[in-house]
Amino acid sequence: MKKDDTKEKTLSRRNFLKTTGAAAVAAMAVGNLGMPAKYAQAAGDALPKKWDETYDVVVIGSGFAGLAAAIEAKNAGASVAIIEKMPTHGGNSIINGGDFCAPGTKLQQENGIPDSPELMLKDMLRAGLYLNHPENAKIVAYGAKDALEWTESYLGVKYVKIGFHGGHSVKRAHGMLNQTGAELVNKELAKVKELGIKIQLRTKLVKFISNKDGRIIGIEVRKDYKFPDEKSGKTAFLKAKRAIVLGSGGFSQDIKLRQIQDPRLTDKFGSTNQPGATGEALLAACIAGAMDVQMDWIQLGPWTSPDEKGFGFVPLFCEPLVGNGLMINPKTGKRFFKETGNRKERADAIILMGNPAIIMGDSYAVNKNVVPHAVQKGMEIGAIKKFDTLEDLAKNYDIPLDVFLKEIARWNSFVEKKKDDDFDCMIFKDTRPTATAPFYAARLWPKVHHTMGGLVIDKNAQVMGFDFKPVKGLFAAGEVSGGVHGAVRLGGVAIADCLVFGRVAGKSAAAEKPWG
Amino acid sequence: MKKHPDRKATKAVVFIFTIMMFFLFSQTLWAAPKLAQSKAKGKDCAACHVKAKMLPDNHADTKAMNWEACKTCHTKDKLSLIGKLPGSHHHQLVEVNCVKCHGKTKKPEALTMEQCVACHGSTAKLAEKTKDIKPSNPHTSPHYGTELDCNLCHHQHTKSENYCTQCHKFDFKVP
Ligand SMILES: Cc1cc2nc3c(=O)[nH]c(=O)nc-3n(C[C@H](O)[C@H](O)[C@H](O)COP(=O)(O)OP(=O)(O)OC[C@H]3O[C@@H](n4cnc5c(N)ncnc54)[C@H](O)[C@@H]3O)c2cc1C
Repeated sequence: MKKDDTKEKTLSRRNFLKTTGAAAVAAMAVGNLGMPAKYAQAAGDALPKKWDETYDVVVIGSGFAGLAAAIEAKNAGASVAIIEKMPTHGGNSIINGGDFCAPGTKLQQENGIPDSPELMLKDMLRAGLYLNHPENAKIVAYGAKDALEWTESYLGVKYVKIGFHGGHSVKRAHGMLNQTGAELVNKELAKVKELGIKIQLRTKLVKFISNKDGRIIGIEVRKDYKFPDEKSGKTAFLKAKRAIVLGSGGFSQDIKLRQIQDPRLTDKFGSTNQPGATGEALLAACIAGAMDVQMDWIQLGPWTSPDEKGFGFVPLFCEPLVGNGLMINPKTGKRFFKETGNRKERADAIILMGNPAIIMGDSYAVNKNVVPHAVQKGMEIGAIKKFDTLEDLAKNYDIPLDVFLKEIARWNSFVEKKKDDDFDCMIFKDTRPTATAPFYAARLWPKVHHTMGGLVIDKNAQVMGFDFKPVKGLFAAGEVSGGVHGAVRLGGVAIADCLVFGRVAGKSAAAEKPWG
Repeated sequence: MKKHPDRKATKAVVFIFTIMMFFLFSQTLWAAPKLAQSKAKGKDCAACHVKAKMLPDNHADTKAMNWEACKTCHTKDKLSLIGKLPGSHHHQLVEVNCVKCHGKTKKPEALTMEQCVACHGSTAKLAEKTKDIKPSNPHTSPHYGTELDCNLCHHQHTKSENYCTQCHKFDFKVP
């Protein structure tokens, strides 16, 4: 067996991974088998005969994080290109609900909401089960306000509403105009264009190219790629003189990869994400030596509906209603969980229950808290329903009426005294008893929403390797990175994360010494 | 840039596309023919499809027809052609041939959206025309405004698709 031994020793991590396939990469990465440093060392790729294009900084992904990075890199003097594999820009960011959590802002002050970065950090850590990488979580909590103000003053983004998300101590979700992240992404894109940065659509990252020191020096892409046809497109090589910023988002739509991380998440679970939210770019980084973390913390949204596709309208109905209305198990007619609990707690509670829950509110709660557009569209699709009486509502969902009416009365008594004796749900100052007809309701069943795990980055968005050293020339930001959120990403904190670390990554990449 | 089709044809196409939005989409005639490009004419099926039969037996001879002639039988409510003909065939039938879009070239290349807009007019105006389509105006969205590339849905040389359905349940009939 001597021969095999030596062979094994000379087998680089790179080759090993190539021969065992992506699934094994993921499995091994998750398990973090403690590869000895010498195996983690990238062996160096055969360099392309010719680079088709050369830039200081190449950004992968056209969502919040990638675009923020591109803007900062350009403003720091770098030449920049952005590649995006889909035929449209914006990734998950452009279908996002537009809630940006930040503490201590003007909008909060105007609404008499005291808040602080300490408190936001505390909320993030508690929800994250203290698995958050504390330094990075702190950078987000303490940098969120500045990032938000940057989007207002530099990009012209408008925030029109301050809202609440489960798991936060206070209302700190700054709602963008039209309730969509498109407001921010499209204004980032406008800035990108104004700065003269080109964005190459239908261009897919296939592989990172490193030199013999393991420094990343460029990428192999497929141009004119037609998602999801892996055979489409033509190979090209992009040289990055300073660095690459990876902003390729999460992998909620990657059924193979997500099932390796969490075997429960079969194709039986839908996802709120865009179809291109897959993990190949993240895995390519691992193959090039990047370390991953907490890949099996995959978040399900507890506010999605089985009665519509994707994210849909029900989340926009459900989230503003928690604490203003109640969540019922239609089988028992009773409440079953703290409505204002965090995403993980609530999704787990519904899955455990084994059947969809009902979220409901009366006219006062709905008119005051939910944007009319969401209610109207949700009703057109049939995912949100309106009832003249509580009896009608109960009948429609087969809820045992007696128990249900008693439960409503019980909830209303908690609302009167502003304290929920059963589940300790937050009850707001302006919450009123559920009593004013008509009543609105929707069914809830979780969908895969966010992948907390991803690449390990330091405070400069520098990607770290399996040898605990920087993977030179590679920065990452946004959902492709891991650690900020720990076990649970709180509502509205993804945007904060993407903007804070996206900007950091862009600056870091532009400041990297050119290799050639 | 390549030559633009003449304006009369343009207007006809705009008109057709607008009404087509309201029509029904049933079965289609997608059969990728061996391209005999030089002979390509929307009305002369056999020129490209050679032996493959594209029309029912009792169909009138189409060789002398243009789009107006098609419409004498194929009306909005009866025998609608919407979604049954690839976009390029429609173009051919209103005299917008290969060259008019792709220019004189041996190797026609994919076009950018500017080429569509040059004839069909601005997407903002188009969105105005389709504002009452249910469940949602197909030509504008909270995500991309009116800026989406026409070719994400309206393909010319292959079956058109409904790009929205990757996330939404919008039941559009796409010409
Ligand atoms: C429906 C929905 C609503 C949400 N609402 C909120 C909210 O209100 N507040 C909040 O804070 N968070 C919200 N989130 C989460 C948040 O939107 C995402 O975490 C965030 O948009 C991620 O941004 P990103 O820049 O990291 O990635 P993305 O915006 O997903 O962008 C990554 C891009 O990289 C591209 N890409 C991937 N692989 C490759 C490759 N191999 N080559 C080239 N390109 C590639 C993708 O196609 C994509 O366009 C929501 C998420 C969803 C799905």
